[in-house]
Amino acid sequence: MRRLIALRLAMSVVSLLLVAGFTFSLIRLSPADPVVLALGEGATAAQKQELRRQLGLDRPLAVQFSSWIGGVLVGDFGQSIFTHRPVSQSISDALPVTLSLVSGGIVLAVVIGITLGFIAGLRPGTWVDRLVTSGVSLALAVPGFWLALLLGLWLAVTWRLFPVAGYTPLSENALHWTQGLVLPCLALSVHGAAVIGRHMRGVVIDVMDSPFVEAIRARGTPRSLIVKRYVLKNALVPLLPVIGIQAAVVLATSPVIEKVFVLPGVGTLMVNAVVSSDFMMLQGTILVFATLLIIVNLLIDIGLGILDPRIRPQ
Amino acid sequence: MTDVAVQVAEPSADSSMARDSRKGLRWRLLGQPLTVICFAGIAVLIGVALFAPVLAPFDPNFADIAHRLKGPSSTHWLGTDVLGRDSLSRLLYGARTAVVTSFEAVGLAIIVGIPFGLLIGYFGGWWDRLAMRAMDILQSIPSLIFALAVIAVLGRGANQIAIAVAIVFAIILIRITRGLALRERELLYVDAARVSGLASSRILFREILPNIVGPLIVETAIMLGSAIMIVTMLSFLGLGLNADTPDWGSMLDDARQYQAMQPFMALPPGLAIMFAVLLFNFAGDSLRDALMGTQRSQALRRRKTTRSTRPLTHFGGNNGTTRTDAEVLNVKDLCVAFPYGKKGSMEILSGVEFSLRRGEVVGLVGESGSGKSMTGLATLGLVPTPGIIKRGEIRLGDQNLIAMSDAELNKVRGSEIAMIFQDSVAGLSPVHTIGQQLAEPLQVHQGLSKQDAAKRAVELLSLVGIPDAARRIHDYPHQFSGGMAQRAMIAMALSCGPKVLLADEPTTALDVTIQAQVLDLLGDLTLKFDMAVLLITHDMGVVAETCDRVLVMYAGEIVEEGSAIDVLTRPQHPYSRALLAATPRNEARVGHLPTVPGTVPPPWDWPTGCRFSPRCPHAREKCLAAPIPLKNGVRCIRADELEFAHDP
Repeated sequence: MRRLIALRLAMSVVSLLLVAGFTFSLIRLSPADPVVLALGEGATAAQKQELRRQLGLDRPLAVQFSSWIGGVLVGDFGQSIFTHRPVSQSISDALPVTLSLVSGGIVLAVVIGITLGFIAGLRPGTWVDRLVTSGVSLALAVPGFWLALLLGLWLAVTWRLFPVAGYTPLSENALHWTQGLVLPCLALSVHGAAVIGRHMRGVVIDVMDSPFVEAIRARGTPRSLIVKRYVLKNALVPLLPVIGIQAAVVLATSPVIEKVFVLPGVGTLMVNAVVSSDFMMLQGTILVFATLLIIVNLLIDIGLGILDPRIRPQ
Repeated sequence: MTDVAVQVAEPSADSSMARDSRKGLRWRLLGQPLTVICFAGIAVLIGVALFAPVLAPFDPNFADIAHRLKGPSSTHWLGTDVLGRDSLSRLLYGARTAVVTSFEAVGLAIIVGIPFGLLIGYFGGWWDRLAMRAMDILQSIPSLIFALAVIAVLGRGANQIAIAVAIVFAIILIRITRGLALRERELLYVDAARVSGLASSRILFREILPNIVGPLIVETAIMLGSAIMIVTMLSFLGLGLNADTPDWGSMLDDARQYQAMQPFMALPPGLAIMFAVLLFNFAGDSLRDALMGTQRSQALRRRKTTRSTRPLTHFGGNNGTTRTDAEVLNVKDLCVAFPYGKKGSMEILSGVEFSLRRGEVVGLVGESGSGKSMTGLATLGLVPTPGIIKRGEIRLGDQNLIAMSDAELNKVRGSEIAMIFQDSVAGLSPVHTIGQQLAEPLQVHQGLSKQDAAKRAVELLSLVGIPDAARRIHDYPHQFSGGMAQRAMIAMALSCGPKVLLADEPTTALDVTIQAQVLDLLGDLTLKFDMAVLLITHDMGVVAETCDRVLVMYAGEIVEEGSAIDVLTRPQHPYSRALLAATPRNEARVGHLPTVPGTVPPPWDWPTGCRFSPRCPHAREKCLAAPIPLKNGVRCIRADELEFAHDP
């Protein structure tokens, strides 16, 4: 098990470096000149040259990349070309918001999805199953951010149950932090919960129909014990990769939900960086999202190793 | 040369079959009302996109400042936005943007993704590995974030969004196509095409592509829905189009800003997105169902096992037959039925009767589909849904199993009557250790503590001949060979010392040498535990070696019963004789591998009279008149006329 974790960890670090390299080169492909964007069209050639030198943009690409990577490794992501604030500072301000939002979204998606899929999968063909199945079909088509708008209007504006927008840090007020995150996390989790629920239902049906459950039944083990001891554990093995993919979807759609609820997260930073072609900020934020996804995948791999003896190295 | 000619003929035969199945596909799709509605809906959506200028009541950019942020009215059916522009018109034009952008994105993804996926999947090797690694890297960036990065490079705009989404989808399509091509490449028709010297491009696009196009179409349909969703998200983030091009995403962004003043604004674009995505998702689902045929619904039907609530008729106590003390299991008039057609039902087991005595091995033989396994399952009350036990009596000692509830049956199953199955590895939970699974019946039935159960599990495992049992108890099923897994299954079945063991083809999936060992083990244990064994098999050789008595089953009925010696040497029923003649050891004499001509017909084709008559060389008209009773151990009215003497 330790070997599996070490191996996966090493692979993750390699992926991260490659992603960093890819991101860096992708951004450099852009025809937009950040210096012109920062100084405006009217700047003189000398001014441009000066800024270029300051930012290190006159050096060869390989040197630029290695100095950026070297900085990233010690937590220095460079400087925003517009605000002149260190990117790492903006990110460390925004990261707690994104982490709260995204982890809440993933947890809700997993809990809701698994519960619904489990309930439906144990009773295929019943009205409960049909209710869950059609609910899932609907949820797959509902745009999460639109649902967020409606929920926000109804529960926050009309009923004043939740704050309409904004973020309260956990350290400031735990209650307000929770209240502020309920609607965003819920909206973020809808799609993932639906996909996980749909898969879980199918997997539970398959497990209940499997030869080993038939054999266990033939040994007189009560159904309740079969469900408790065998179904969940066996169902989770094929489900974990699905959870991984949905965690990626939650990460990917977080900027949209951040916009709806005006949450100052990494997604918002990134969207602003795209709009203003703030390359350093863009590189930094992409790397943050990639790191989060790679961590999620690492956790999924480790989880699979714990659950499924077949993939543990002997 | 002739070989090649024959092989080349195969692909074309394949493709004509594909054509046939595609024709069937069309009918399957048209037969589903929901599917028809779905495709009609997509047609409407595309129609709206095409004819938006004709349908829209206003110019989408005409600003009527006097009537800004109004709710629905007779002039503005869906109200107006902050500049007083007509929401309905913007919604209709927005459909155009959504359809054009998402079709562009998916189209691009198809043009790039499918050929590339085919190439790397078909040729494999280093290019494949390199491409897969590259895609792993790309997929380490969450999809929408990736699209944002692409837009940052390309700049904002509708085409840019389409390209960004296309790249994300192309990666997915490459993976899927590669996987399908990889599988297809191993198939015979591709080999044939290669041998006959077809150019690779022809093999890829004329032979492989038509065979994998089904799953790809399904994927594409669902992608069109997600494309609409992603495009609206991107334009909601303000990265899309200029303000003059109406689209659903920026309409929602407007609605967000002025929600407090006009809450209605958010409804129409959101509903439009939802319906569009729903249409494509359903289209994809119904295409998938149609392509997979009825497999799925059948798998669903076979899902769990329950038993009937009560038999239709009750048999009180002991009705006439003498039961010796040694008799442990007595099954009488067992009938199992499945629903058939609208209201009807069909019997798949009819009047099955047998009894088992202590220390005796009884063979239950017959071809696939004769009802052997169902007899075993029904005896345990495990008839698969929606089947029911229509009537009958299953006496285990003093108890009638038919009259028991599921909870009562659970106390009997595994403790007094146990069953083992053909596929031993699949019969074990892959994520639990052998020890955990072996200890469970001991804990459930005998109330042993965890430690005691574990100790007993080691004893049981060594009892079935697994060396180093104390260590192997911590192994998982995948670490066991098929033969060892079957030994473990036997240990589990015998853990609570049952009086009866039902063994359903326990050696069929094993190697011949292992078969003999497992059979020997079963024989030893039968004596040791003094239990009765019902050995379900289709192998007459196994019967000859292990069984005391034999039951021959055909089409849900016992057609002959008797001592193993009698049935094997002097079979009275034509079916028994046919089965014996088909035993492979007669091969040398007959000169070819003998078989029983034909197969067991499905239950709805069973004749009223003798069920074997359609395949029986000795059938006469009188055989078809009425159901044949089991008389003197044979269910054949011509048994006396036909004298079968099996060659010694």
